[in-house]
Amino acid sequence: MAEEENGATAGGEFYLRYYVGHKGKFGHEFLEFEFRPDGKLRYANNSNYKNDTMIRKEVFLTPSVLKECRRIVSDSDIMKEDDNNWPEPDRVGRQELEIVMGNEHISFTTSKIGSLMDVQTSKDPEGLRIFYYLVQDLKCFVFSLISLHFKIKPI
Amino acid sequence: MANAADVDALDFEPDDDDLMDEDAAVDVDASSPSAAATIPKLKSAITGGSVASSAPKKTKGRGFREETDAGRTNRMSGRFDSLDSDGGPGPERSIEGWIILVTGVHEEAQEDDLQNAFGEFGEIKNLHLNLDRRTGFVKGYALIEYESYEEAEKAIASMDGGELLTQTVNVDWAFSRGPSRRKNNRRRSPHGHRSRSPRRRF
Repeated sequence: MAEEENGATAGGEFYLRYYVGHKGKFGHEFLEFEFRPDGKLRYANNSNYKNDTMIRKEVFLTPSVLKECRRIVSDSDIMKEDDNNWPEPDRVGRQELEIVMGNEHISFTTSKIGSLMDVQTSKDPEGLRIFYYLVQDLKCFVFSLISLHFKIKPI
Repeated sequence: MANAADVDALDFEPDDDDLMDEDAAVDVDASSPSAAATIPKLKSAITGGSVASSAPKKTKGRGFREETDAGRTNRMSGRFDSLDSDGGPGPERSIEGWIILVTGVHEEAQEDDLQNAFGEFGEIKNLHLNLDRRTGFVKGYALIEYESYEEAEKAIASMDGGELLTQTVNVDWAFSRGPSRRKNNRRRSPHGHRSRSPRRRF
């Protein structure tokens, strides 16, 4: 009953997590965020370069914001893709995108993508391009939310 | 594919979850004695999903074929900063003002269009009109900051469902003081229904 009363869960469950990071000279440096079904947005950014700062922020979003996130995901058609032919995570870095939407649950992993050139030369340029742009759009959305709410520069 | 340990963890989790809701409502995290309970919580949101849900989910991706990532649990389970909030329903104030979300924004909208439409409710302290990274057009949403609650509230009341550049826009608060589900609904849920709890997370 509660589920039907708020827009966040309209159309079923929604969960999203994105991670990008690598382990190197400056330790484990990463960026990670997640949208949880109860509306909580969590954001973590660990960079050990120069000053070692770990930024961890969380805030509850309204169902309207979750719905917009869901729309961005849904419009991208990422749920139809598969990471089978994407470059495997390597020493340079790793990306993870996990999404639960309705009855589908994806958990994709791949290497860092430097530029569109990496996308074009991969074995699945169409799928990887969708991933590449979706990740940028999601980051952009999250950075706006976090920087407006906390007045920090997320990166 | 969740392993057996994940399934076990899930069996205990709903109790922890319900207890936390009854006790505190706000997320308690590391500062609370039940902090340990929050660790499997997030983990199960990831790996346990297809198991707990009433209808099995279609899973896809290499992420399911890897060992459970202990590092991930550490990364996301510690203490996260948030602005002081007493929880409960209603919008949450951001550090310098009140943020609203506009959706259904026309892909060719300019910042001026939003300034004109939303500036009349108060001075816009900040405006994010983000672009679609592939097309370069507006992604479809805008985030606007007003200094006062009243200005933001007026903008929502006046513009939600209204028209902007031939498109219907929806306007709402961006941030909330607590979980989007209503607390009294959960509190009322009798213990007999606990077995259904895993459906709410995944």
